[in-house]
Amino acid sequence: MENSSSQVPVTVLTGFLGAGKTTLLNRILTEQHGRRYAVIVNEFGEQGIDNDLVVDADEEVFEMNNGCICCTVRGDLIRILGGLMKRADQLDAIIVETTGLADPAPVAQTFFVDQDVADRTKLDAIVTVADAVHLSSQLGEHHEAEEQIAFADVVLLNKIDLVDQSQITGVKDRIRKINPYTKIIETNRCAAPLDEVLGLNAFSLDRVLEVEPDFLDSDHDHEHDDDVTSVSFVSDTPLDLEKFEKWFGNLLQTHGQNILRSKGILDFKNEKDRYVFQGVHMLMDASPMGPWPEKSIRNSRVVFIGRKLETMNLKEGFESCKSD
Amino acid sequence: MNNESVIKSRFEENGKVFETGAPVTGAVSIENAVAVGFGDGSIRFFWPDNDPLEVQAHSGAILSIASSNDGVITGGQDGRFLKISTNAEVEEIYNFGTRWVDNVAAYESMVLCSSGKNVYIWSDENDKPKILEHQSTIGGIAIDQNGRRIAVSCYGGVTLWRLEKNKWKSSKFAWKGSHGKVGFSPDGKYLVTTMQENELHAWRIRDKASFAMSGYPSKVKSFTWAGDNPYLVTAGAKEAICWPFDGKEGPKGRKPLCIASGGQQNATFVESLPGEKAVFAGFRNGMVLLSELSEHPNDVLIQNPTGSEVSNISISPDRSHILVGDSKGQILWSPLWEQ
Repeated sequence: MENSSSQVPVTVLTGFLGAGKTTLLNRILTEQHGRRYAVIVNEFGEQGIDNDLVVDADEEVFEMNNGCICCTVRGDLIRILGGLMKRADQLDAIIVETTGLADPAPVAQTFFVDQDVADRTKLDAIVTVADAVHLSSQLGEHHEAEEQIAFADVVLLNKIDLVDQSQITGVKDRIRKINPYTKIIETNRCAAPLDEVLGLNAFSLDRVLEVEPDFLDSDHDHEHDDDVTSVSFVSDTPLDLEKFEKWFGNLLQTHGQNILRSKGILDFKNEKDRYVFQGVHMLMDASPMGPWPEKSIRNSRVVFIGRKLETMNLKEGFESCKSD
Repeated sequence: MNNESVIKSRFEENGKVFETGAPVTGAVSIENAVAVGFGDGSIRFFWPDNDPLEVQAHSGAILSIASSNDGVITGGQDGRFLKISTNAEVEEIYNFGTRWVDNVAAYESMVLCSSGKNVYIWSDENDKPKILEHQSTIGGIAIDQNGRRIAVSCYGGVTLWRLEKNKWKSSKFAWKGSHGKVGFSPDGKYLVTTMQENELHAWRIRDKASFAMSGYPSKVKSFTWAGDNPYLVTAGAKEAICWPFDGKEGPKGRKPLCIASGGQQNATFVESLPGEKAVFAGFRNGMVLLSELSEHPNDVLIQNPTGSEVSNISISPDRSHILVGDSKGQILWSPLWEQ
């Protein structure tokens, strides 16, 4: 395993056409003086990026033959990231701009599935640029808009100068309902501090420990079955490792397609270490992350973002993992 | 990673080591030299009797290199498809702009390359390239021993193009999944590809019967052919895995030979020793072994671990020298035989 300092961070930029992805990209490229970035763009994307290391790609999503039915990856990313790692010059970061209608899952899954990609690069964060004027209607009309919010570690709520305060509050509520753990930054012309967009390490297990989401009460109003929502549970009783592995493995097997993201910090009976996991659909990364810090409350917290979560008996399942 | 207790191999003792600072991305024989492509866009010619010659060719990494009639051809991340002669003359065959030139190949005076989903072919007669289109980005290209067939791999399998009455006619060899490198067996009867999954796929061209060669702990990045059988020699495991391609059914239902078993890590590059039943295997930690194609092989240490993945092993055309290159840019250039 390579150490993390030799892995080049990759930021994935999503958002509907016209939301402001190119504006943000050009800000990153012009303001981060002395840093060397490679930008992977799509021929159907917005034009006008000024950088000497722009790589044209087709978004080629393909299925892996690994028995995981929802496991799709971005074949072009495997090829291009591999190619960029052959360069003699060291890159500070790589930015992948996706087309407006892209589902972020295959991008994220590429980093779980391909060993060469995982050895040499790491997924830093998924940043979604959203248009404050149009996001509400886009969420109602396009699956992909919901997915882009659900996967976002950061949402840049852009063009806020074109809407009033009550509209901003409305859009933010809508975002929070899909993904309460994303950070929302209100901007005009994507003028966000760049250290809140880059270098976030959002997919590392360490980071799961640092982000303390506001735990919502889990009774949401469902508008219709296709809505992406989130639920979270806490247990003060230590969990049974075997029971949890069995329940969680089975859950991802059966419902992985509808679980977009999952995260958790777990306290297992008779284990001195904290266990941390995070997953994308059926793929999961999990590891003990050292002993519980002194003075911290030992409990188990899990979060799911997805569709039809109410059909998965999540609460009962989680409760059944408690140790006797 | 070398520590004091390491005993140098004869090849390390007698050879020269060059630290180029740029990853070795490919190498090929040309005239009496080995031409090496690097991640900084340069190529270097290594001769048995002279100092190496460096030519700055591309900006960005060289992605593919092959030898043609009158020079090496290279494809780069700068979108350029170049021909470079052994006296350092650089000629641009084509410029694809922001699109990478991922694969190149040549047969006599015919040169071809792939960029995106297309293969571009230049023959003697005309300046304009002939374009062969495919459904997804191309993983690899290969020309058969007679220059009459071109194999192109991409997502979903291989397209085999045949030159018939001056027209390229295609035939599909389908297998679900993403295919990378492609090659013909030396007798031209089989097609082999590396896959995104940890396996290889092969088709008997005559009837399109296909089979997988699997069980690898990592992706298979390199394969070659060795011996008279011949064997398909593959990287991707802790040993060099050699599949027998003799008989009617090839390796179907048969066990491979496992040789070069001294490495602690997975093999990343394999090369045969022309004219001998022997194989070089380079490993992820930089170690290189020479091993016999037999049930009970003897291994010879060529290079101790360097800490960087072996990305190329080449033998000079006169068989006098071996070149080993790694992903950090170290080159070992050494006489192959006792002086």
